[in-house]
Amino acid sequence: MTKVAYYKGCLASLSAKELDTSTQALAPMLGLELDELESVTCCGAGDIHEAEPDYYLHLNARILAYGAATGAETLMTICNVCTLNLRQANFQLLNDPDLRGRVNKNLATVGVPPYEEDIDVKHLLWLIVEDDGAERLRQVAHKGLKGLKIAPFYGCQILRPSKLLGFEDPDKPWSLEAIIEACGGEAIDYPAKIKCCGFPIIQAREDVAMGELIQPIEQASEAGADAMVTPCPLCHLSLDAWQSKLKATTGRDFKMPILHLSQLVGVAAGLEESELKFKRHVVPVDPVIEKLEV
Amino acid sequence: MEVKLKIWRYDAYSGDRELRDYELEAPEWACLLDVLDLIKDQQDGTLAYRKSCRMMICGSCGMRMDGRAILACKERMKPIVDRGHVPVISAMGNMPIVKDLVVDMDPFWSKIRRMKPWLEPGYDEVLERERIVSQQQMNAIQKEALCIMCGCCVSECNSMESDPEFFGPAALAKGFRFVGDTRDQASIERLEDYNDEHGIWDCTRCYFCNERCPKGVDPRDAIAKLGAESVKEGIDRDMGAKHAKWFVKSAETTGWLRETELVPKTQGIVAAVKQTKFAIGLAKKGKVPPPIPPHVAADVGESRALRQLVREQGREGAQGIIQGERGLARIEHTDAGGARRDAPEVTPGEEPPKAEG
Repeated sequence: MTKVAYYKGCLASLSAKELDTSTQALAPMLGLELDELESVTCCGAGDIHEAEPDYYLHLNARILAYGAATGAETLMTICNVCTLNLRQANFQLLNDPDLRGRVNKNLATVGVPPYEEDIDVKHLLWLIVEDDGAERLRQVAHKGLKGLKIAPFYGCQILRPSKLLGFEDPDKPWSLEAIIEACGGEAIDYPAKIKCCGFPIIQAREDVAMGELIQPIEQASEAGADAMVTPCPLCHLSLDAWQSKLKATTGRDFKMPILHLSQLVGVAAGLEESELKFKRHVVPVDPVIEKLEV
Repeated sequence: MEVKLKIWRYDAYSGDRELRDYELEAPEWACLLDVLDLIKDQQDGTLAYRKSCRMMICGSCGMRMDGRAILACKERMKPIVDRGHVPVISAMGNMPIVKDLVVDMDPFWSKIRRMKPWLEPGYDEVLERERIVSQQQMNAIQKEALCIMCGCCVSECNSMESDPEFFGPAALAKGFRFVGDTRDQASIERLEDYNDEHGIWDCTRCYFCNERCPKGVDPRDAIAKLGAESVKEGIDRDMGAKHAKWFVKSAETTGWLRETELVPKTQGIVAAVKQTKFAIGLAKKGKVPPPIPPHVAADVGESRALRQLVREQGREGAQGIIQGERGLARIEHTDAGGARRDAPEVTPGEEPPKAEG
């Protein structure tokens, strides 16, 4: 077992509780011991970075400090936006001793342990596939996906900017495909899998966001996907919950089930509904479950 | 070396389009632009593309290779030939094609002009003594000043695909080049203008612009700097600004996002009430977590105290982003820290969009 500091972020505690329960159930099967961080806050989701960037840096330094204090080498995220925000702050601090010194002094002033031991921020997606993880996954995913056609949807902030993320080619990523295949599914290819779901502006500019959202759903649907899978709860929320608005605005009802990464691997590994919580989805996942039960 | 490539040819008058194959001998030092020149000289004089300086400073030769916006003069062909890859060359996106690899950049330039890309010094008469600007003051805008206006960022902008009127990454980066310049006396008027419906808060944070920019401008970061300056100056009427501020409020009160309150705090009560039917649908699935009792992070007092402390230190607005650039500039492009660009085995290619008119 490898111990990792587990930073679950906001949505997995709120509207995407199913992401947290499925991750917690799946982790031991993947050899991950989760040390959940309690004294942490939101990473700012890019919004605090834009509104009050100095506060953003300190909030993320505080998360990194509590992560490092667990003694783990890795802080595990389950959200693209958390991944980018934490990695960006981490690079700013690790590569600039003066800045890190100032931030640590401020942390100490308010009673937070300083960020001294370095910690690496990695998304669950990367932890699953790194070091030939797809091979290991074949053992874990014993129930399989029975050849289901799954459309991988990466979203933005796990690929770009690659300078800060850098796990894989941002234009030709392979990690989700490797997981889908290792779980016994068939990965569908389509151009919009690396594009934006529109979520960051879905409240402030709904029309613009919907113009982005429809592309991956439409393309995945036309490519014959049974479901889509995403490593990001924000992409999940827009793809799943806002799909009903696409129906209202465009008249097209895609009925496309959207799975969290941990649910896709979890269902292939035999997790129960009490852990997967598909009932919390807006678009029913039943057609997928029925195909798996045949 | 023997180079093979495919080029999307397009004729705006006839509407004819064709993906044509080319094979030719080229010296090992050739970049894509050299190869296009050889094709035009030796094989097909009708091939249209823009070029000038050949050294990544004029910004003329923006185009797409395998669907990625690049500068033709920056892409070396040898590594591509060595791995046996046949790249597909096409025109940039988000701009109408004139012919082959040439796009109509009029909409691009009109957005740049909208930014008023000149200094407003705040006086009419020339000063008696020159105005000295420190190196540190210029450093604050050095990234944005690197822009060569090639259009590679605009080509891939996801917001602009959905809203063609979006000012876009190049224009907004140009905007920060002036807002961030200590000599400029029109920053407030600029910020008011850039907070237009199609301005700062229209950016969807897809980060394609940072990924594609051949000069390291990082336009998305420039847009965030404009957002930070707007909030600092109290220019926060846009729903995007209200949305961003609610995250700050959440972080200092409960630590975690106060998700359910985000909609009325962003859109206002009246607009939020119109979302009631949609919200009820989500609530049935537990997607509308009740705000009471609040989901409070442990030791949230530390988060509140931190905000108080950093506000007193006065690194507000864009400074908070600029201070991190030194660390980010030191990221080495290694397997551990930088991008790994795996050789694509299949070529996606990109159909040129239909030209307008």
